[in-house]
Amino acid sequence: MRISRRALAAAAVCFVLPLSACGSGSDGGGPADASGKVEGDITFQTWNLRANFKPYFEGVIADFEKEYPGIHVKWIDQPAEGYADKISADAAGGTLPDVVNVSPDLVAPLAKAGLALDLDKAAPTYGKEYLEGAWASHRIPGTTGTYAFPWYLNTGPLFYNKSLFEEAGLDPDQPPRTYGELFTDALELAKRTDGEVATLANVPTIEDFGRYGVPLMNDQGTAFAFDDDKGVELLTKYKELYDAKALDPQALTATPESSGKKFLTGAVAMNPGSALDLGNFKKQAPNLYRNIGITDQITSTGHVNMYVMGLMVNARSERTPAAVAFAHYVTDAEHQMSFAKQVAIFPSTAGSLDDPYFTEEDGTDETRVRIAAAKSLKNAVNYTPVLFSEQMKTALRNEVAKALQGRQSPKEALDNAVKACDTLLRQQG
Amino acid sequence: MAVPRTTTVTRVRRQLPTSPWLFAAPGLLIAGAFVLYPFLSTLANSFTDRRTLIPGRFVGLANYREMLHDDMFWIGLRNSTLYVLGVVPALVVLPLLLALLVRKNIPGITFFRSAFYTPVVASIVVVGLIWVWLLDERGLINSLLETIGVGRVGFLSDQWLLLLSAMAVTVWKGLGYYMIIYLAALAGVPRELHEAAAVDGAGAVRRFLTVTVPAVRSTMVLVGALSSVAAFKVFSEVYLMAGPSGGPAGEDTTLVMLVQRTGTGLTGRVGYASALSVVVFAVTVALMLLVLRADRKEERV
Repeated sequence: MRISRRALAAAAVCFVLPLSACGSGSDGGGPADASGKVEGDITFQTWNLRANFKPYFEGVIADFEKEYPGIHVKWIDQPAEGYADKISADAAGGTLPDVVNVSPDLVAPLAKAGLALDLDKAAPTYGKEYLEGAWASHRIPGTTGTYAFPWYLNTGPLFYNKSLFEEAGLDPDQPPRTYGELFTDALELAKRTDGEVATLANVPTIEDFGRYGVPLMNDQGTAFAFDDDKGVELLTKYKELYDAKALDPQALTATPESSGKKFLTGAVAMNPGSALDLGNFKKQAPNLYRNIGITDQITSTGHVNMYVMGLMVNARSERTPAAVAFAHYVTDAEHQMSFAKQVAIFPSTAGSLDDPYFTEEDGTDETRVRIAAAKSLKNAVNYTPVLFSEQMKTALRNEVAKALQGRQSPKEALDNAVKACDTLLRQQG
Repeated sequence: MAVPRTTTVTRVRRQLPTSPWLFAAPGLLIAGAFVLYPFLSTLANSFTDRRTLIPGRFVGLANYREMLHDDMFWIGLRNSTLYVLGVVPALVVLPLLLALLVRKNIPGITFFRSAFYTPVVASIVVVGLIWVWLLDERGLINSLLETIGVGRVGFLSDQWLLLLSAMAVTVWKGLGYYMIIYLAALAGVPRELHEAAAVDGAGAVRRFLTVTVPAVRSTMVLVGALSSVAAFKVFSEVYLMAGPSGGPAGEDTTLVMLVQRTGTGLTGRVGYASALSVVVFAVTVALMLLVLRADRKEERV
């Protein structure tokens, strides 16, 4: 007996001790100066780009090093999964690379912690090289600066399954464009297939509210506002779809992977994606690939949502001039244009979207899609509020789910979500 | 026990009173750095409002008070407790029965022993994903159910079925591991006891209850303690099957999932997540004590 009790005690120690805490916090650094000698070794971190674009980046880095002989750039790439966790571990541990690939929502907490270099102060002359909206997307409410160079833009196409549309008696060449059309088509599809085929696989996200025309935050960016009548209207409609199985019954627990799979297997008729998905369809679902329709995101405001990637300079970098020079080099018009020719992304530099590459048809589908996307990008909006954190996404998602299940009214759900998000916003400090 | 001391031993003791500590030093250092320090720092953080990138201020018991009003905390506590109640009895009893089945040396039994043990070796992520495919609305299990006319069951969309499915996966995955522990314990049960009981006319069930169970009772307590601690801290199975947001409307969130969701990422609330971790710690310690206490009480009887 004694042995087993001792074993228990040992087991208790190993099993019970909870998660460890992370490294040390920050102490707020002032913005460094970008003037000075451009030299030294810098580290450049990208977000899941090595697998597909290794030669491109090696080329850019080699050209840069040739132009600035004193600099050596070390390129590291992080996988898509857990990118935010990786950055937060680095930021907390003081090992953030000099130039980091970020999105606006990642920049916000870093800027507030004084870890992102304010480019309005450190490199004010570069701003005018970029599209105004793109440059502004790295401004954070509550702060005064701009915290990253805008890099590539994307709208993310919406894929749909033409044969499912056709079977349900819908015109496969007239996909829905506004939320109103989407709801009509989705209900029709569900009715004709007896609830077998859903049109949507995901519950509405903050971007859906934005594209429906719901104001997401107040003008000062200090509180959320998506619980107005328009927001309630959108959620009420989604509830109707959910009850009719036009919104997939598993939508409440869906992840991008699971809804992607549902689209591949023909259980769901529409799915947002990226240009990279086309290759995936071709390989995994050749039948679907033959029937794939590509359209713009659903929007009732006339503006699609644009995703902005940026390059942030670490405010604690010991090689600020070199880091700024490199971040600018990668994001300047010439290199964004050459990157855009590698893959279906779009440059954020002023005037680049007027390049014949984005305006002149050549008869191929690929070009048609590219021109359409470039056109919609010109007036696209980055709907995702930069201060909308992962925790807020979960809060919204869970309240929306309760409304879809009928456990609370859409109005109650959105009021609760706004309240929860406001609390989280205050706690972010 | 008067063993004559040799002079060598005496000399070593006199010269190096610290020698036991030196021997223990590497282990102590590792435990200190990777167990004790993180634990103490979690404890300290739980009294602050620290966030991932922003150092916290001391807020006293505010985090613990917040928990009382946090619906998600109560959902997490409920689910983790349900998990213990659902998983532990199954993991104490089923592996024992399994061990009794596979301890016989009949041809081909090795195959079954390895088969039962395979899930233990497999990665929980792989296992979780396989079960997600099987239990999907259009997965294998639902197609079978539809064929036999039962109709589709929303294993992965109903909050209770989801939790049950996750429990089933935990039990299924743990069976082999605890089976091995029981096999070792069963090997120590004296054969004569069984034979004597058989001579006295006890049937198989009677022999199981009066000979086998008392003989492996301490192992059962060990298995109960280990599995209840593991069950209370469940994360992977539920995370994989219910998704990062914890099932429909987050109703399947477990406490550890809540710790992860609250405390990670660039906007993570490290202080509150630490307080949640401390609660997880306290409950698991209480669980251990409870199991040990039950054991001691029975022993006295």
